Amino acid sequence: MAKTLFEWDYSSYPGAASYPHLFKPIQIGNLLVPNRIKYAATEDNLNEHTGFITGADVEYMRRRAEGVVGGLCFMQGVYMDPARKGQGYVGQAAAWDDKFIPGLKEIADAIHSERAIAGFQLMDCGRVGAVEVERGHGPSGVPQRLRIFKPMDEMTNAEVKEMVQQHVDAARRGVEAGFDVMEISGIVGYLISNFLSRYTNRRTDEYGGDIRGRCQAMVEIIQGVKDVCGPDIPVGIRLCSEELLDDVRGNPPEDSMMTYQVAEEAGADYISCTLGWQESIYPVISRDIPQGNWLHLAKRAKEHVKIPIQMAYRLFTPDRPNAAIERGELDMWEMCRSMIADPQMPKKVLEGREDEIRHCVACNLCLARLFRDAPMTCYINPTCAHEHDEKFFPKKVADGEEKTVMIVGAGPAGLECAYVAAQRGHEVHVYDKRGEPGGTLLEASKAPYGDEELLTCTAYQKTMCEKYGVNVHLGTEVTPELIEEEFPDTVVLATGPVYEPPAAGGDRENMVNVLDVLRGDIAVGERVVVWGNRKPGIGAALKLAKEGKKVTLVGKERTAGFDVNPSFKWRYMIYLRQNGVKVYNDCDIVEVADGGVVVKTYDGYHIPVACDSVVVSDRKANEDLKQAVQGEGIEMFVIGDALVPRNLSSAVHDGYRIGLRI
Amino acid sequence: MPVNAEKEISKLWRNLHAAQGEIIRMYYRMREVALAVAPTGTDPMALGLKAAEMMGKDMGKNLIPRLNWLKGEEGFLMQLGGALAGIWNTEGGLAGVEPGETPGEVFIRCTRCPWPGTAKDFDVSMEEVALSRERMFQAMLEDISVFFNIPLKLEMLKAIPRGHGFYLLRLSKAV
Repeated sequence: MAKTLFEWDYSSYPGAASYPHLFKPIQIGNLLVPNRIKYAATEDNLNEHTGFITGADVEYMRRRAEGVVGGLCFMQGVYMDPARKGQGYVGQAAAWDDKFIPGLKEIADAIHSERAIAGFQLMDCGRVGAVEVERGHGPSGVPQRLRIFKPMDEMTNAEVKEMVQQHVDAARRGVEAGFDVMEISGIVGYLISNFLSRYTNRRTDEYGGDIRGRCQAMVEIIQGVKDVCGPDIPVGIRLCSEELLDDVRGNPPEDSMMTYQVAEEAGADYISCTLGWQESIYPVISRDIPQGNWLHLAKRAKEHVKIPIQMAYRLFTPDRPNAAIERGELDMWEMCRSMIADPQMPKKVLEGREDEIRHCVACNLCLARLFRDAPMTCYINPTCAHEHDEKFFPKKVADGEEKTVMIVGAGPAGLECAYVAAQRGHEVHVYDKRGEPGGTLLEASKAPYGDEELLTCTAYQKTMCEKYGVNVHLGTEVTPELIEEEFPDTVVLATGPVYEPPAAGGDRENMVNVLDVLRGDIAVGERVVVWGNRKPGIGAALKLAKEGKKVTLVGKERTAGFDVNPSFKWRYMIYLRQNGVKVYNDCDIVEVADGGVVVKTYDGYHIPVACDSVVVSDRKANEDLKQAVQGEGIEMFVIGDALVPRNLSSAVHDGYRIGLRI
Repeated sequence: MPVNAEKEISKLWRNLHAAQGEIIRMYYRMREVALAVAPTGTDPMALGLKAAEMMGKDMGKNLIPRLNWLKGEEGFLMQLGGALAGIWNTEGGLAGVEPGETPGEVFIRCTRCPWPGTAKDFDVSMEEVALSRERMFQAMLEDISVFFNIPLKLEMLKAIPRGHGFYLLRLSKAV
């Protein structure tokens, strides 16, 4: 008889009817999990640099535990060696000593307080570790491909055995802290994956050689951890189904599937199916990869093992995992980024509130922050990593202090501000001269490589505006007269940016606006210069290049995509190259003529560039209406690109914060 | 035969930048070599400053034939300051010379410098970068001072590696 930790009955919830396969139980080892949902272990850098758990992390986890509605909720992977070679993130939790158990227990208790199943993960970061020390450890001293990672030392045979024991000891601490499921991380370039891969394991002792030998360390860890966990605590492992390291002679898929089979033989109770390493040159989880793209790997994994298979990786909506489970191609739906963006995501699915989900836009800002030793943050969820701070959450204003708020602009900044202010009790009116809400995101979403997913942001905001009774006035341009007539208590200017042509350009006919181009409202010539090398310019350049135009991107920023986070920017750089877009960064346009422009480099060189059209995407702050509002003595806030042209994230975060302040 | 001017110029421009970057990286590689063969306990800062001094001394000799006194002291200082800024620009910086408040001084302002960024890649302290820059320019002046029989002084007032956002060097006739 499988053990049940918490009783859950989903039968009365609409989500259980819509997605019956997500909300049916599954047995993992001797544990009955009431649904197929898992918040997968995700680093957040919220803990002390000494490895002790902080209150911020406990609250972060509590929210996710509430979200999984009885499913599995894993805390971030812990490092296990006092030498800290396995530590991959400055705020990573540690479990190399019993002194860490009380903090770990706080997390387990927080997860249990939401009647969810608490998962503990063992994660030696191996090749991508040693964040606080000079050298990392691994099966072999293979040099790093990426300079940001530390040089590697080959572990001695004794050190490998010690490392195995460290996993076992840490697992025992996890059990003592009260966790219900144990997981070993063997993915993306972490230590276990280093042992498994023929790219990084060149050993000739019992821990190297053929795939069986390379699996030996994993086998000893699984068996040792199983011993301390006993029959009631399932032990799972996360393993790469494909390393995507063909270019450095990594494991072929058949070797990866062999690792799954060996893990099962060693006693693993489930496998979390992943792919790619941090040093792979192929994208795996960014927005340019279609949703559900990797489900075939879960299916293949299930063809190789009998134990349950779990998977995350571009599964942001419940329909795909529900269908995959129904088809027998998947057993559990894992989430990382989708629950960073919305901790309540599966709960909203269960309650039939899917339109209230704030969807992840797969920008990978969360990863970029972690790799730069900064605490987790989310591009579109302003409360992420602030769960412990009640100041970050809307509170009703006192009776009699409600205001009438006029928000000018129904883009992501204005809409975000609107529903937050309305939620707090203000009477909010949003105006936009266009007939559709969404602001410049409507055009931005036309750029190639998955940008249509950005619209999920405003879709969520529109739902929330409706929910909290925001009055939306579309097709209404706000003028000084309208402000005077309405005379609100507060005006929020979310009018978006002003597009700024190159100083030398004036108003020549061959100069067109990026929004018109993205909408497809205006024709451009075969040779196009795009002025402005931030994201709007990149999006337009790629769209035009894919239409077969010869595109040159010119901008003042030192690097193109200055406003795109580094974990996504590399994709754009590759796409620009692949599409033949020539890029001049750190440059100005000093002359515009009918047949071309003259680009001036930062160091004074002049380069003639032939073109038929110049697309203006460079932006500046929007000063319109400021004087009119100030002249009336009305409280005023300026947010989003109207304040400083930045990106979607800044718009959302600005809007949220001002929504809290009004 | 038609020439694609954009292609030709941009190729040269990119090659120039690549070469400039390589010059700085080569310096730091050689610094690592020097540290590797130096006696144990050698202070990297002392080594860096010694290198700056030797490099500056050699570069100063190259400047002597290009300077003249015919335009008087003020013109001489502007010419010399311009030459120092030119060296910086050759390395990939953006520098220029500005007249001072008195005829006996000029300022060299550099708003972009490739040295600190590359130094970070080699774990070199930012203070070493700042002091090395100052020491190199000071060493350039030593032979020039003797040759023209005019005591010259150079002080670094601001430095990018110290977080000031730009370099400001005051070149003056020593009192």
